[in-house]
Amino acid sequence: MSDTAATGAAPRFAAGTSGARTLAEVRAAVNGVTLWCPDDSPAVTGVVAADLMSDVLVDARPGNVLVTGLVNVQVVRTAAIADLAAVVFARGKSVPADIVDLARQMNVPVFASRDTLFEAAGRLYAVFGSGLAEPAPRRQA
Amino acid sequence: MTGAEFVRAYEIAGADFTNAGRASTGIKETLKHMGLPSALIRRVAIAAYEAEMNTVMYARHGTMTLHVTPEDVTIDVRDEGPGIPDIALAMQEGYSTATPEMREMGFGAGMGLPNIRRNADQFVITSEVNRGTALVMTVHVS
Repeated sequence: MSDTAATGAAPRFAAGTSGARTLAEVRAAVNGVTLWCPDDSPAVTGVVAADLMSDVLVDARPGNVLVTGLVNVQVVRTAAIADLAAVVFARGKSVPADIVDLARQMNVPVFASRDTLFEAAGRLYAVFGSGLAEPAPRRQA
Repeated sequence: MTGAEFVRAYEIAGADFTNAGRASTGIKETLKHMGLPSALIRRVAIAAYEAEMNTVMYARHGTMTLHVTPEDVTIDVRDEGPGIPDIALAMQEGYSTATPEMREMGFGAGMGLPNIRRNADQFVITSEVNRGTALVMTVHVS
């Protein structure tokens, strides 16, 4: 990754690459800043990108990383309730200290990225494109 | 019921978006300490959280009570609020009467009640307009 790191561009992973991915790789893919993360080595099972926490509670699987443009305490609580691996706050939004404190209390690693939600999701799709976990069963139309 | 029953009640304040989710988090922690399977805990926690958010969003006050027996985990939520005039309509995915403030929190998209039903093995909802709503959701342990 040193070549891309030297240019400041986000490291890329080949689409469809298989194998376990870690929080560290997720953070690198979105040029993320760590807000709180005591250990970035755990493997993640996939990614869910949404601003609607109701959708996260339906679609996310345990161990997923949530990428969202929403910044409030319910994002952290949703992640904790749904056994998510971490939250990436996208769109370069400022994340207040009380949200980071709650994440620490609830043991939810949190990162911030300047990517838009679309960009972050796209970069992470390149990492998880082959699907490391079974997708959530879709709701009926 | 063949064994002892564990019961714990949590108070929920209407419109308190800052603390919304604390009761469900407490229930999840309690079930973890009991050593129940993580998949079961997750289903209960999600159902409880959706119900708690509904109470915060729509009711003046509510009580969420956790009952645990060797066979079942049951969450009983009773609120004082406007009630639901048409439960069948409220159970449809996408139907919502949420305000912009509710939607800013990431909720109020008409997914809550259907998601509770999805995660519970048994789900009963009753409501009386201008009195309140009661939900009883059960997840079987075995």
